[in-house]
Amino acid sequence: MIYLDTSATTPLLPKVRDAMLRLMDESISCKLGNASSLHSAGSRAKFALNEARTEIAKYIEVPPLELIFTSSGSESNNTIIHTFEHCPIIVSAIEHPSVLYAAEAYGDPFIKIPVDERGIINLNFLKTKLEELTKDNPRQKILVSIMLANNETGTIEPVEEVSALIKIFKDKGYRNIFLHSDATQAVSKIPVNIKKLGVDYLTFTAHKLGGPVGISALYIRAGAPFKSLIIGGAQENKRRAGTSNVILAAGFAAAVSYCQEKNVLDNYQKVRVLRNYLAQRITKILPDAKIITPLEENLSLPNILNVAFPYAEGESTQLYLDLEDIEVSTGSACASGDLEPSHVIMAMYHDAEIAHGSVRFSLPLDITKAKLDQLLTKLPSIVTKIQDLSTLNKAKS
Amino acid sequence: MSENNSTSSKKSPWAYTETVKDHFLNPRNFIMGDETKWESDGEGLVGNPVCGDQMLVKIKVKDGKILDIGWKTYGCASAIASTSALSELAKGRTIEEADHITAKEICDYLGGLPEHKFHCSVLGHQALHKAIQNYKSNLKS
Repeated sequence: MIYLDTSATTPLLPKVRDAMLRLMDESISCKLGNASSLHSAGSRAKFALNEARTEIAKYIEVPPLELIFTSSGSESNNTIIHTFEHCPIIVSAIEHPSVLYAAEAYGDPFIKIPVDERGIINLNFLKTKLEELTKDNPRQKILVSIMLANNETGTIEPVEEVSALIKIFKDKGYRNIFLHSDATQAVSKIPVNIKKLGVDYLTFTAHKLGGPVGISALYIRAGAPFKSLIIGGAQENKRRAGTSNVILAAGFAAAVSYCQEKNVLDNYQKVRVLRNYLAQRITKILPDAKIITPLEENLSLPNILNVAFPYAEGESTQLYLDLEDIEVSTGSACASGDLEPSHVIMAMYHDAEIAHGSVRFSLPLDITKAKLDQLLTKLPSIVTKIQDLSTLNKAKS
Repeated sequence: MSENNSTSSKKSPWAYTETVKDHFLNPRNFIMGDETKWESDGEGLVGNPVCGDQMLVKIKVKDGKILDIGWKTYGCASAIASTSALSELAKGRTIEEADHITAKEICDYLGGLPEHKFHCSVLGHQALHKAIQNYKSNLKS
């Protein structure tokens, strides 16, 4: 099997399973209590939870107290967007739906920043909007949320430039502009330095770096506005109610420690070389394929390649590849629950046919040239077969 | 029908029945190559590539019956399979009978389709209806 859908979720690392199993065994023998309980079993759980928090905080170089656990990247994103309910919320047009839909629900106004064909936000648009919003009310509270890297195309957004722009406004006295970044896809793939990024909030999650599904992190800079999304308990320093999930937190920490020990960041540079090889070969063997991901090193994550195959609807391509034991994903409407084509590709190209034909290959750390060559052997006949069935075939164009 | 019911009961890891999978992977009666060269007595096109689904159906009619049917589909597995199923259902029927084929009949033939796919991807009968209309107007002219 060739699993090329790591942006959806990464396979669980054996080290992560071991860390969680250890705690599960402790739970079976009543040694792992509720982390909020004061007795020994509770204290052990609290210790394990704090240990996990410290490990993860160290990874992105923030104080542990500025990091909370949530259930998912979507919860982390929703929490911050919800904090700015009734305030202007400005997001990129290609955010994850958990940012986009939350901003639409809570923002007043809700503003989407357009992107170019590489998927990169228009900074001038953002500047103009910030000027408009602060003109009559210098103390206006505003949230800007820009993802660090896009989940469908891998495009890296200029978050540092956004924070530099906000700093110019802050230096002029407009102090209530805050910056959130959804770094769910970026963490472990490219260096993520909170100070350098200059963000007030950052979302990232365990299951994109070999950890378990069900646990994520949210960095909240000390002093930045915050409103709990889930209330009714003092967990997470009164910022997120609900019994602490110590076992998943330990799994998350084990994944992070693996990333550090095994120099995962460096290894992804080898993945980048193979990703570029794949792009180059696809262009060669299927000349009408459109490479959506910008391949320049500073513009995209090392592991994602998004390609649109004209006249071949993406779900069909995905399912034919699945029959060959090759797993990918697509931006086609048919593959989505809401039957809308990818909003990301639409924002970049404004062309539904490109969106319907888009396929995302997201490569695992252990990808090899041999595996990609296997994919490349199968791909042309699959795409050609679907194109042959299509009303929009080459003969017509 | 019973044959399809039995195949559809087999488990597929996809959201589709085995019958849908079969018609998607081994589409019946589709037009290989340039469809403009496929001679017909009537043709109908429905759907829109912007929406992600488009079907072309062409028919050859003899003695009031559909002698042959050919099609092209741009769309997902469900769209391809449902057009393929329609072509099997329509072939050999009188044009009046074929014109009464419904989306539900196609869906039943396939052993069911995911709810959210039913309305958007089962369009082949509409293309066939247009092809029959086109055939009838060709007769008049």
